[in-house]
Amino acid sequence: MLVEFELLQKAQQGDAGAFNQVVTAYRRRILGTISRLIGRPEDVEDVAQEVFLRLYFSLDQLRTPEVFEPWLYRLTVNASYDYLRKSKRRPESRMSDLSEQQVLMADAVAGTKAQSEEGEKHRVKDTVNSLLAAVSEEDRILLTLKEVEGLSLKELEQIYHVSENSLKVRLFRARQRVLKNVKGVTRRREKSASSDDGL
Amino acid sequence: MFEREMTNASENEANAQLDALFCAFREATPDPEPSVNFMPTMWAKIEARQSSTTIFHRFARALVTAALGASVVLGLLSYSSNQPAIPTTYEASYVQALAADHVSELEPLQVERISELEQQ
Repeated sequence: MLVEFELLQKAQQGDAGAFNQVVTAYRRRILGTISRLIGRPEDVEDVAQEVFLRLYFSLDQLRTPEVFEPWLYRLTVNASYDYLRKSKRRPESRMSDLSEQQVLMADAVAGTKAQSEEGEKHRVKDTVNSLLAAVSEEDRILLTLKEVEGLSLKELEQIYHVSENSLKVRLFRARQRVLKNVKGVTRRREKSASSDDGL
Repeated sequence: MFEREMTNASENEANAQLDALFCAFREATPDPEPSVNFMPTMWAKIEARQSSTTIFHRFARALVTAALGASVVLGLLSYSSNQPAIPTTYEASYVQALAADHVSELEPLQVERISELEQQ
């Protein structure tokens, strides 16, 4: 945990300074998680502020320090989910764009040396955002937490309040849905490579 | 058999590709630095939410008080209107009640009144 429980207790009692310290300790991590969850840099701070706002008004319910971080993650997931649900204009959700970018990403993963590092990073971000935009908000958030944020099943259990088996099933299905698109990329790459050879 | 192996191999390849993609994504998206306005904006939002909550609480409290007052008044009104002028439970039989109702009509002739009539 990044803060002491005493600090949380002070914040619970309405100490604004203590709450500021809690926010300062966690805001970068929360901003990072949100930026990867929603894929829209311009709205990341708004969503993060909503998370801390919800934390401020529900902090008095916290009883044990162990649950603080999963709880904060839960607030983050809920706020991100609300944001994604509200903003139906999700980035790069058109399938034609998706395929284009996936092909580009497949090249990037294969190690296209000619591209600059920044350009590659940009393409990676675009491609993952596109792949995740093609599945539901629930799949997107669950996969990001597990595969990108690196949360363990135990931590996910605490966030989602479901059994490990149920989580495994949901993760497997979400992964399969994303994999369909990744497979499509490979097929398209092979096709485009063979047509290039033909020319 | 061969086809199944090929399918498994392509699935494994796609899985590995996806893992690499997620890994690259994590590296490509470091935690961003918050802007200088992050904390002031957050506190402004908290205060705005607090004041709207206070207004709502005040309104709710006023509503509850008004509802309590109204229910007391209504209770008193209904109590007073339900006070029976005639007892609602009849202890007498039907015939007795009928007789009581027509007591003036069935009143027996009184001697004094006859004498009064005779005098007239």
